[in-house]
Amino acid sequence: MNIPIISIVTFLPLAGSILLIFISSKKENLQRFLAFIITLINFLFSLLLYVNFISQTGEPQFVEEKSWIGYGIKYHVGIDGISLFLVLLTTFLMPIVILSSWTYIKKKVKEYLIFMLLLETGIIGVFVSLNLFLFYVFWEAMLIPMYFLIGVWGGGRRIYATVKFVLFTMLGSLLMLVAIFVLYSIYHKAMGIYSFNIFDYYRLSLNPEVQIWLFLAFALAFAIKVPMFPFHTWLPDAHVEAPTGGSVILAGVLLKMGTYGFLRFAIPLFPQALEKLLPLLSVLSIIGIIYGGLMALIQKDVKSLVAYSSVSHMGLIMLAVFALNLEGIEGAIYQMLNHGLSTGALFLIVGILYERAHTRLIKDFGGVSRQMPVFSAFFLIFMLSSLGLPGLNGFVGEVLCLFGVFKANSLYAILGVLTVILAAGYLLWMYQRVMQGPISNEKIFSFKDCNRREIAYLIPIVIMVFWMGIYPRPFLRKMDASVNHLLNHIQEKQIFFSEAKQDNKTSLLLKIEKLMREKEIDKNE
Amino acid sequence: MNSLFALLPVSIMVFTALLILILEAFLRKERKEYLAYVSIILIIVGLANILFFWNKGYSYFENNLILDNFALFLSSILCSLTILTILISIKYLPLQNVNYGEYYSLLLLALTGMMIMVSSEDLLVIFLGLEVLSISSYALAGLKRNDLKSSEAAMKYFLLGSFASAFLVYGVALLYGACHSTNIQQITAQFKIHDGLGMMAIVGLGLLIISFGFKIALVPFHMWTPDVYEGAPTPVTALFSVGPKAVGFAVFLRVFSSFWRIALDSQAVFWLLWIMSALTMIIGNLIALRQRNVKRILAYSSIAHAGYILIAILAQDTPSLIFYLTVYLFMNLGAFASVIALSKKDKEYLELEEYSGVGFKFPWIGATFSLFLFSLAGFPPTGGFLAKFFVFSAAVRQGLVPLVIIGVLTSLVSVFYYLRIIIFMYMREPSYEVEIHAENPALLLVIFLCALGVLELGIFPGNILVFIKQAADSLHFF
Repeated sequence: MNIPIISIVTFLPLAGSILLIFISSKKENLQRFLAFIITLINFLFSLLLYVNFISQTGEPQFVEEKSWIGYGIKYHVGIDGISLFLVLLTTFLMPIVILSSWTYIKKKVKEYLIFMLLLETGIIGVFVSLNLFLFYVFWEAMLIPMYFLIGVWGGGRRIYATVKFVLFTMLGSLLMLVAIFVLYSIYHKAMGIYSFNIFDYYRLSLNPEVQIWLFLAFALAFAIKVPMFPFHTWLPDAHVEAPTGGSVILAGVLLKMGTYGFLRFAIPLFPQALEKLLPLLSVLSIIGIIYGGLMALIQKDVKSLVAYSSVSHMGLIMLAVFALNLEGIEGAIYQMLNHGLSTGALFLIVGILYERAHTRLIKDFGGVSRQMPVFSAFFLIFMLSSLGLPGLNGFVGEVLCLFGVFKANSLYAILGVLTVILAAGYLLWMYQRVMQGPISNEKIFSFKDCNRREIAYLIPIVIMVFWMGIYPRPFLRKMDASVNHLLNHIQEKQIFFSEAKQDNKTSLLLKIEKLMREKEIDKNE
Repeated sequence: MNSLFALLPVSIMVFTALLILILEAFLRKERKEYLAYVSIILIIVGLANILFFWNKGYSYFENNLILDNFALFLSSILCSLTILTILISIKYLPLQNVNYGEYYSLLLLALTGMMIMVSSEDLLVIFLGLEVLSISSYALAGLKRNDLKSSEAAMKYFLLGSFASAFLVYGVALLYGACHSTNIQQITAQFKIHDGLGMMAIVGLGLLIISFGFKIALVPFHMWTPDVYEGAPTPVTALFSVGPKAVGFAVFLRVFSSFWRIALDSQAVFWLLWIMSALTMIIGNLIALRQRNVKRILAYSSIAHAGYILIAILAQDTPSLIFYLTVYLFMNLGAFASVIALSKKDKEYLELEEYSGVGFKFPWIGATFSLFLFSLAGFPPTGGFLAKFFVFSAAVRQGLVPLVIIGVLTSLVSVFYYLRIIIFMYMREPSYEVEIHAENPALLLVIFLCALGVLELGIFPGNILVFIKQAADSLHFF
């Protein structure tokens, strides 16, 4: 196949946003329509990736490599079983987000759509980059549209929230940048050539002491993004203040960039450091699970409740990633998709409620289901999916995650189960207070049920929720090879280092470099 | 090659400066902008002349005039800077009631001084260039005669500038005493013979660093910057923020590139520069946080950027330094041009509050100004990111990791104040009736060119990197 599918999927939204610039800002409906069509076409294009994806190999596919600036900086993109679904999730959610903002965004529609499209390019770019420089460019560039989305279209404390979001994320990523430079210069010293290719870096066997520092820098950047406890404080603010569309993308996809970063960069690059820090990271994940769940229980605002539930769910995903086995990592990836769908959908639900009530406080609601039966059905499905009811998507992911964790450490798994229990608590209680009981507020009588547009964008998510819950094979099958590839790589490194340790310790580094060269020669031959 | 021919670029500038003084006497007040066109055309002629010498590596008058690629590249940067400055001044001057023909002539003299400074290896000739630059700068800063702030700026600049010049002369004298020469190459040769630096030479070098630290606005020699930048007419500020800085670093590079190893091996010089770089980044960025005036914010930001550029000197990496200066030209000039775009008769909008809601009211100015600010803050995919990227990666390769960590953390701080301008532009409701230079094609052209430059350098810097590499290679290393 000669069509550069990945480049098209990545840059089509960018082209779309440039197109939108030249359309008069008075033709709002035309702009909404165009943006919707562009994202929809992009989604259909991205399906080509799924269809043509070969599930037998763990190597990246659809690779495009072009020289760009020099000094090892290349335009190098490709996807494997880990990034495939994250790209699909992004392109799937985007048209839904555009539809959901149809009437929600009333001022400055054109700019909103432009930033949304730019955001899509940035996010997809992060998932497909195989060159660390390119990755970093997308990683940072994506902050700009998000900054505007929260800051311009957000709620009352939007400026505080957006500045906090940007500064937190940048703190992590700038330190990661320093670590990237260190890797870059180590590679240059060892091999004599410049490279930002992550697969080249995979082959480096770094001194474990250096690894710790580099890992900490990378992990901080990703942990802030996930967010892991104690770096989560930007998340509730950002979520509560962001417009619905922004929240959906934030919870649905942006957080996954953190977990993806761990899987793609932090873990395979620095396996020895990970081994040492594993207990700390697992404990932080568990604290995140419990803390997020408890905080969600006491929230008065529906949106911040969903936001804290994200902290809890992401904690379980990280815990499963750190289990470092097939079930755990596949479960984590699967759960990333589930979380993207169900939490994204919950934010849409909150958005629909907010459009009618102009409040999000739980106490202002009650008995809404009498007035909005269709809506309440959707709400119920997404809530159950989020708390992991068997037959819906969340169940499969959570079971896989907990399976993996249990294999690695049974105590962690027991604590990890708390995610599900707490989720059942805060979600059911919230549903009961908002949707059931007598109608407590006169305003609720004026609520209209979901209109056709709202049903139209919620239905695809419902289909996915059921499909992923009932028949997960097509998804898991595509991940197998890539996840195994990753695990083999980690194992190889561990064997390599334990062998190296048995030899004389002082010559450790020399030996590593020698081995690396030999490997290099082998590969070349 | 006739050595007088080599003087042509510089002589064209001097000639133009004098020509404008004469022409001014014959022009009516409303026609002053013709002077601008004349100077732009003649600068372009000079620029073409400069390009003619590219890759030839001539040196004349016993190395007192060097036309290596490095000098030529910087001269063309400085010429472009002056052209852009003139373009943003054309409509600004009558609006602010400072429509004097001397203005263009002073700009050209400043350009002459800067060109002399970058293309010589003799410290005395460099001093000569510095004086030409400084004296015209003092006059430019005080252009708004009736404005108290402008006069204060000129006075401050003059007093502190004279001190800096005195330091330079004293430093040159000490170096001459130690090495019996004012030529940088010969000074280096002496250092090599004597295997390191004597006390007298170190003090001499230190005085040199102080003097150019003043021009570049390194902490603790930065005190004049915010006041002068605020008081001077905005196009002049734009020139000050880029020109003298580029020149100062060029001289630094000339001095240090030839005895880099010796000077940086001497711990005293190395740590002096290290500490100055760290302080400049920290103090420049932290004080900028508290500013409410956009011009002052940009002033402190330019101080901070000097700190980043100094890292390139410590990392001994010439290409990244030249690249940084090139990007800096576009992004800083673009930012000042955007500030100028928001002004009306006798009034400039400089307070942050006055920028409320500007972004949506004037979408193009808002978008480009944001682009320049994002570039200054170092966001990809702008040139500012790539500039910082190259500098930091070179520094890490030299093992300057702590300095780079200070660098990235302070640029995090800088994000806060750059974003604050954007917050006012886009996220606050408009509360002031702000007007804009509507029919001003020259200004819009400058903004467009700068935006193009920032994006081009950020996304496709390949072509320019080739030239920068040639320029960097033309410096001698020992």
